[in-house]
Amino acid sequence: MEGEKVREFFCKIIKEDEDVSVGVAAIRTLMEIIKHSKSETVQELEATLKDGIQVMKSSNYPVAAVNSGCELFLRFITLAVLDTRTFEECKAIMLNRGHIFIKKLDEARGKIVKLAAKFIGDGCKVLTHSRSRVVLQTLRKAHKQTKNFEVFVTISAPDNSGKRMCKDLEAEGIPCTLILDSAVGYIMDQVHFIMVGAECVVESGGIVNKVGNYTMAICAKEMKKPFYVLTESFKFTRLFPLGQQDLPAEYKYTSDVRKSGDLKKVHPLVDYTPPSYITLLFTDIGILTPSAVSDELIKLYL
Amino acid sequence: MLEQDLSDVISLISDIKHKKLFNSYDVALRTEELLEALISKGQWKSARELMALVKMKIKYIAENLPQEATAANIMRHILKVIREEYEAASKLNRKKGEGQSLHQLVTANPNNVLDYSESLINLKSSLLDHLTEYKVELESSTDNIAAQASEHIHMNEIILTVGKSKTVEKFLKSAATKREFSVMVVEGAPFYYGHAMATSLSKNNIQTTIIPDSAVFAMMSRVNKVIIGTHTVLANGGLRAASGVHTVALAAKHYSVPVMVLSHMFKFTPIYVASFDHGNFNICASPADVIPYSTGELLNKIHIINPAFDYVPPELVTLFISHQGGNAPSYVYRLLSELYHQDDYDI
Repeated sequence: MEGEKVREFFCKIIKEDEDVSVGVAAIRTLMEIIKHSKSETVQELEATLKDGIQVMKSSNYPVAAVNSGCELFLRFITLAVLDTRTFEECKAIMLNRGHIFIKKLDEARGKIVKLAAKFIGDGCKVLTHSRSRVVLQTLRKAHKQTKNFEVFVTISAPDNSGKRMCKDLEAEGIPCTLILDSAVGYIMDQVHFIMVGAECVVESGGIVNKVGNYTMAICAKEMKKPFYVLTESFKFTRLFPLGQQDLPAEYKYTSDVRKSGDLKKVHPLVDYTPPSYITLLFTDIGILTPSAVSDELIKLYL
Repeated sequence: MLEQDLSDVISLISDIKHKKLFNSYDVALRTEELLEALISKGQWKSARELMALVKMKIKYIAENLPQEATAANIMRHILKVIREEYEAASKLNRKKGEGQSLHQLVTANPNNVLDYSESLINLKSSLLDHLTEYKVELESSTDNIAAQASEHIHMNEIILTVGKSKTVEKFLKSAATKREFSVMVVEGAPFYYGHAMATSLSKNNIQTTIIPDSAVFAMMSRVNKVIIGTHTVLANGGLRAASGVHTVALAAKHYSVPVMVLSHMFKFTPIYVASFDHGNFNICASPADVIPYSTGELLNKIHIINPAFDYVPPELVTLFISHQGGNAPSYVYRLLSELYHQDDYDI
């Protein structure tokens, strides 16, 4: 499957299905590549997949989730016990397992919502950052459980995705207030806890999320408010940043921006929040403390 | 049928409520006996039926005594043992139990998952063997913890402890055989268990001082270590400890004094407590301990709360000492995964 077709397929999934995250779209694209591939060996297939991943990374969508999802998928392909005779059988097995994998990913969000909704009680004030589908679903579920709570959402410049989040919440009947990114410190003593999503979870247990998350986390720690992260487990990635500068440039800036040259004057899309600021991570493999994340990663990659 | 199945749990709960079973240790032994009776004489044919019976009991306890984690934890542990024994027995079929980890996400084949419904002949006897081993482990747990005492307590140190805990008592007495040190006991109003603790310690020739709760911050600068017991250890590494312990932990943090918590493995519970679950977290003891009923008319005008427990966040705890050794609070998730199966966390 050529580069252009890959890009087309990838962008189509994202545009058509609102609810699908970029990571899941990437994995579905990889499945499509396997289906249409004319390679005869596993190595060639892997090379084709890697090319596909490069194409997806160069389209203007956030790279972090694409990276972790695809890495996991590739790992999963290489872990397949493949002592079948023909490559065709091999491909069939991979496609089958790919379907199982995608099914599990689709169920992931439901599991997280079930765990996290319990932590929202009556009279709660929740603060969230930008727009996260998992957080949105969790708030919806808690609302359906007839809990009365209020949500504060940051506008989250530069794309103002917080506005969309607020609109979605108000459509459900959940009282929602849009606040300036700079008003996070002001609002912090009024809220009871913070719930955010994540673009990816790094090996130290920290997260990479929309820019402004780090500031919110520091504020929360100072005011002793719990900081909860809701994320699917396929977003765990083998990165270990020690600071903001250690994040790869492809995470922070879209590919168009990177090509244009001088990155010093450009606003980054994401920032890194170290694990010491995170209270708990709600994932489909259970509620984890940040220290448990590296354990999970080691179990997979060892 | 339902009453028959739950009668043992009902009597356990009633004994706990009537204070006939006071210590966590007594509750643990009693639960273990209950499980032994269930496995040897209960009506079950397959592992799945047995697990269903145990889960029913855990649910009943969780509904009636949400704070009593010990009994539920031991039953959860038995569930894990049952699963393990079953998997070991059906190893020949090369099937794997449903697990929850990234690795499982990627490799598990849904057709290959155990449903525990085969009836295996040796299951009962292997489970009973395991239980006997577990009982021995339980009984020697306090001694094993106490054996580590001389590693943690050094010459001429001042140790602070709160109220009365059998585990801490044995720990300090074991250290006293090898080292000379002194102990400050916080009396722990309104029950004043600290008094009994101090008397017992001084009978073993340990130099003891009793201090009132209000003096904790003032004396903390002289203390070298805080050694306490706890009622439960929560999944995030926090504690549900006796009322007053949070204050001690905060004072210790201020003076950078290490806080060591002695706890048996059955106190580790896989439950996370949401900040909004106050109803289930704490229970209130009788207000008469604070102000006696004999005060008369005045009682109409005051509201008295006498909470039994305190929540201590994991940042304030330095080390958990169990019979297997010392662990950091950030490691609690690992201990939990070894004690209980992921599917049993949330019954």
